[in-house]
Amino acid sequence: MNLWLSLLVGFKEIWAHKFRSFLTMLGVILGVASLLSMFSLTAGMAHGVREYITQLGGIELVGVIKQEVPVEQEYKWEISPGRTVADAEAIAKIPHLVSLVSPVVELPINIIAGPNNFRYEAQAVWPDYLPINKHNVAFGRPLSWLDVEEAKHVCVVGRLVVDKLWPDRPDYNAVGETVLINQRPFTVVGIFEFYESDRDKRRRELGIDKASAYSSSGNLRSPSSSSYSRSSSRYSSFTRKNSTVVMPISTAFYEFKSANVVGKEDQGPDYRLDRLIFQVADIDRFKETLDRVADMLRVTHRGIDDFGFDTREEWFERNEEYIRNVRASGGLIAGISLLVGGIGITNIMLASITERIREIGVRRAVGAKGRDIFIQIVVESAVIGVIGGLLGLVASLGVMKILVAISPGDNAPVLEFENVVISFSFAVIIGVVSGIYPAVKAARIEPIEALRYG
Amino acid sequence: MALIELRNVTKRYRVGEQEINALAGIDLEIAQGEFAAIIGPSGSGKSTLMHLLGCLDTPSTGTMTIDGMDVSRASSNKLAEMRNQKIGFVFQSFNLLVKLNVLQNVELPLIYAGIPSSVRREKALAAIERVGLTERVNNTPLQLSGGQMQRVAIARALVNSPKIIFADEPTGNLDSNTGATILEMFRELSRQGSTIVLVTHDNGIAAQAARRIEIRDGRIVNDTINPPQPVAA
Ligand SMILES: Nc1ncnc2c1ncn2[C@@H]1O[C@H](COP(=O)(O)OP(=O)(O)OP(=O)(O)O)[C@@H](O)[C@H]1O
Ligand SMILES: [Mg+2]
Repeated sequence: MNLWLSLLVGFKEIWAHKFRSFLTMLGVILGVASLLSMFSLTAGMAHGVREYITQLGGIELVGVIKQEVPVEQEYKWEISPGRTVADAEAIAKIPHLVSLVSPVVELPINIIAGPNNFRYEAQAVWPDYLPINKHNVAFGRPLSWLDVEEAKHVCVVGRLVVDKLWPDRPDYNAVGETVLINQRPFTVVGIFEFYESDRDKRRRELGIDKASAYSSSGNLRSPSSSSYSRSSSRYSSFTRKNSTVVMPISTAFYEFKSANVVGKEDQGPDYRLDRLIFQVADIDRFKETLDRVADMLRVTHRGIDDFGFDTREEWFERNEEYIRNVRASGGLIAGISLLVGGIGITNIMLASITERIREIGVRRAVGAKGRDIFIQIVVESAVIGVIGGLLGLVASLGVMKILVAISPGDNAPVLEFENVVISFSFAVIIGVVSGIYPAVKAARIEPIEALRYG
Repeated sequence: MALIELRNVTKRYRVGEQEINALAGIDLEIAQGEFAAIIGPSGSGKSTLMHLLGCLDTPSTGTMTIDGMDVSRASSNKLAEMRNQKIGFVFQSFNLLVKLNVLQNVELPLIYAGIPSSVRREKALAAIERVGLTERVNNTPLQLSGGQMQRVAIARALVNSPKIIFADEPTGNLDSNTGATILEMFRELSRQGSTIVLVTHDNGIAAQAARRIEIRDGRIVNDTINPPQPVAA
């Protein structure tokens, strides 16, 4: 008996018991639906996390951080100047390994345009700061080396800063405007593009819920932004990025750091950096790059190990591991559901062969071999698996729609073809495997026993 | 060499402590083209013998060859092949598949013989025509009378052009008129050259066969050639 005929017989048999077959399939349907939904949710989460990390400069971004000096160096720690622009200059001299580097001084500022007055934190930096942090300029120009060399009073600001300073003028191109930063006049030379997650962008472009998407990512103090821990951190990271104010680091030193009054005494200019960031050129040579940078810094820090590195690798790993764990536990639940579905199929196939024992006898009497009966039963239970799998795929689309409707702020599930294939294959495998035991039993029935029955 | 040869064939059943000798040493030869009737009282072992002959079961001891093949120790697959290629079996209770129509029932042996569907259809229709049921090919067995069902079963037994046709009380579930028609059908097949062995416990029927084999308590007690019969009116 060829496979086509077996399939046909299988379909007929299932069609003859539609309701019973559907009940039998439920376990498989649920299993496949939960498996694929879970795959898609975690794929969505992974996508969201990667998007987030990329927004923050990707894993190739490394920060040089302050660290406790080792005990044996404690007595002479003061000879180290700490992190200074000289460090950045030293790192910039490393050929090939480091592609971008920028010192950062963080300044609490008061920014004024006309009657509007806001507090922000400005980043006083080198031009490399912008590409390291994946900033793009929508209007005007980015910072230039000339700005740094000449300590120009210029700034590049984020979209939300412009929107706040000129609230009546949506999408205002403020390039050329003069603002007061801590009482000093600065010219706005550039405005960054508006940063948002792919999902928000898609929603905005589709015109869905524009106001809420914009405001939830635009308002730091929005209560909704704190209701989901993961999404809120994402939103605030986008919000923070949209609230950036950058100026040349030299300007900041001249204007705001030339005096450092502690008590009543001026300590002199303060050249210490708040942050020092660089970008690794080749992620495959990550370790090597860090070693080279450390060598350079040991020179500028006069042999004092008062610095360390802050990398995203570990954080990235943690996220990947988290997603793997969610996958594993979700997979376990889906697996149990599929297993139960499989047992259901086995059970119904056993009932079915008892019901059809006479049919089996007749088929055997006219020449069916044990093998033919085996194939017939396995094909039939595989067909249950296939139909259950297909219905499960459809159901998972529904499940995902519901999940998206329940929490639109979370990462949208991402349906990946490979996951569809995996989930469906599971259903087929379960169908085939659950049919094996009943099929072996059916194939072993002696024709004469089967004919005597009933 | 005869088409069928049985040498000291026995069949024992164990039911708990008890041993039942359903067949207690059968020696039998049936030649190509014979028309034999097996007769005997209930429980004498007729069906048991037929199942062995029909390769549906194997003997406990003794040897049995069919068309030169020793089937007494053959594997289950070999027996299935024998049933499929060389043997047609007609049961008292028809044993048709009620989910299939007449054509599909008759096609069934050809499916397991691996015959392509166009040839299958042609052969099945020819067999159905021989039993006079061409009008009913699309009916299911439940839409047919008992006699018609038995004719479908005969068509199914014929379809693969077997060497021998076995029939275990083919008229047992039919009224006497219908039974007579079915019996006439076997006689006609016999005239056309088929080898036929049928079981009955009706002496009248046994008398219409060319040879009468009587069994009792699992043994052959009488094996006679009947005088030639006139064609039944
Ligand atoms: N599977 C079995 N298990 C135990 N005993 C059996 C089995 N099959 C048949 N027998 C016994 O073997 C003996 C012969 O049975 P068989 O069916 O061959 O008789 P029969 O001649 O066909 O009778 P009938 O005319 O009533 O059909 C009987 O005693 C029966 O009880
Ligand atoms: Mg009997």
